[in-house]
Amino acid sequence: MSELFAGVLFAFVLAAAVATAAFRDTLTVIVVFAAYSLGMALFYAFLLAPDVAMTEAAIGAGVTTLLLLLTLAKTVREDTDQLLESVNVPAVLVFGGLLVVMVASLGEFPAVGADDAMAWYNPEVTQHYIANAYDDTGVENAVTAVLAGYRGFDTFGEAVVVFSAGIATLIVLNKEVFTRE
Amino acid sequence: MSTTVSQALQPAFATGEFITQVFLVAAALFMLLAIAMFYRAVKGPTTQDRVLAVNVLGTNTVVVLALLGAGLGEPSLLDIALVYALLNFLMAVAISKFTVERGGVL
Repeated sequence: MSELFAGVLFAFVLAAAVATAAFRDTLTVIVVFAAYSLGMALFYAFLLAPDVAMTEAAIGAGVTTLLLLLTLAKTVREDTDQLLESVNVPAVLVFGGLLVVMVASLGEFPAVGADDAMAWYNPEVTQHYIANAYDDTGVENAVTAVLAGYRGFDTFGEAVVVFSAGIATLIVLNKEVFTRE
Repeated sequence: MSTTVSQALQPAFATGEFITQVFLVAAALFMLLAIAMFYRAVKGPTTQDRVLAVNVLGTNTVVVLALLGAGLGEPSLLDIALVYALLNFLMAVAISKFTVERGGVL
């Protein structure tokens, strides 16, 4: 029965993605993109990745919509009667080719939980993490243990990069991010 | 045949398998409804229609997340449902405010 759910969810996400690409009006695109984000968060939740789904919920539904609206408020929204975006043939050809390549490579992926999956190419390392993650870090989720424990300095570096990017953006925007005019 | 009578009777009701299927089928039906709601977001014609459609979609997502959490036996999905319930409200308010007072979001 979960296949039924996945099929319907896939149809919804596909429709939302096509609508996001096709609409002309920016505000409509922002609203439709929020719907796409809802579908993707459901997909992550369905694939039992609650942390990714939580991030998609916070970023996709909350922050992205607000950020795009703030940008729209600072800039000009094109006033048009045209409902759909006109099709750019070279772009469609390039992305069509890319799509064909990606779909062709789909069949090469191992099945979920398969014995010959990439994660088992290096069984000693994987088993070491599975066996020792809780004792070493005290974190129940092995992925979180690797990210925040074993690779803590790496993650810390990433956080520093994101933090400096945020500060740089604030400086560029001259501290008027949340003010009106 | 080594299957005992109790094993043969087990699949549908005894193990809770049946209720899991019900939750997943209900989630799939709610996703069908989501496609119907998405029609309004696409068709419009005004921005208010679209904002309302996405707001209803968000509420629908909260329900589907709760059903999935029950069906897949993952209580942590309820946390995501809570986050969505809060953010969905924020999103609708932000877009509404943007369309009413041109340029004001927060």
